[in-house]
Amino acid sequence: MKVKVKGWHGVAVWRWDVPNEEVCGICRVPFDGCCPTCKTPGDDCSLIWGECTHVFHMHCLLRWLQTEGSRGQCPMDRRKWVTAK
Amino acid sequence: MQMNFPDEADLLNFNLSITPDEGFYRGGVFRFTFNINNNYPHDPPKVRCSQKIYHPNIDLEGNVCLNILREDWKPVLNLNSVLVGLQYLFLEPNADDPLNKDAAEDLRTNRKNFEYNVKQSMRGKDVKGVYFDNVLM
Repeated sequence: MKVKVKGWHGVAVWRWDVPNEEVCGICRVPFDGCCPTCKTPGDDCSLIWGECTHVFHMHCLLRWLQTEGSRGQCPMDRRKWVTAK
Repeated sequence: MQMNFPDEADLLNFNLSITPDEGFYRGGVFRFTFNINNNYPHDPPKVRCSQKIYHPNIDLEGNVCLNILREDWKPVLNLNSVLVGLQYLFLEPNADDPLNKDAAEDLRTNRKNFEYNVKQSMRGKDVKGVYFDNVLM
């Protein structure tokens, strides 16, 4: 039997480079989902890493840092938040 | 510990009762109201004691002095952390961070006397002329 390929569709999946099944400590949504204010995951709702190695949805963390009570600290360890380069 | 929702459609407002099974406050039922605003978890839940009780860290209006409800709140904490914190206040009232200075002074200077005052207050009696709510089951 001869098979002739008439066409094909490429499919790709992506995920953030974080350990499996981890959730954002602020909103508790998986990192591969998006923060509660966004509709779709992806580059528009990215993650942010601190030098302390803690990770959050960027929107969740920025909202926290804008809160007066945050004192600019990482929500996990209360060290001054410095975004990892 | 028990939660109930006066309006079942409103998950952001509920009541909690704590029944310590050891410590100074054993045998009492202590009631709190929780209000969670739309900025949660960036803002802590607002928690008040709905009874007038004699406690070093709870004033006569029901305001609660618990670090994680104020300056030490962070959004990775959750209601569970608050519930454990409240429970702990009844096991180990803290004289160093008082909202009720008289009660804190009693706890610091004379534990036996403090214990007696707690028992009196929980029965709805007065402590130095201030009457408290009966919290016994």
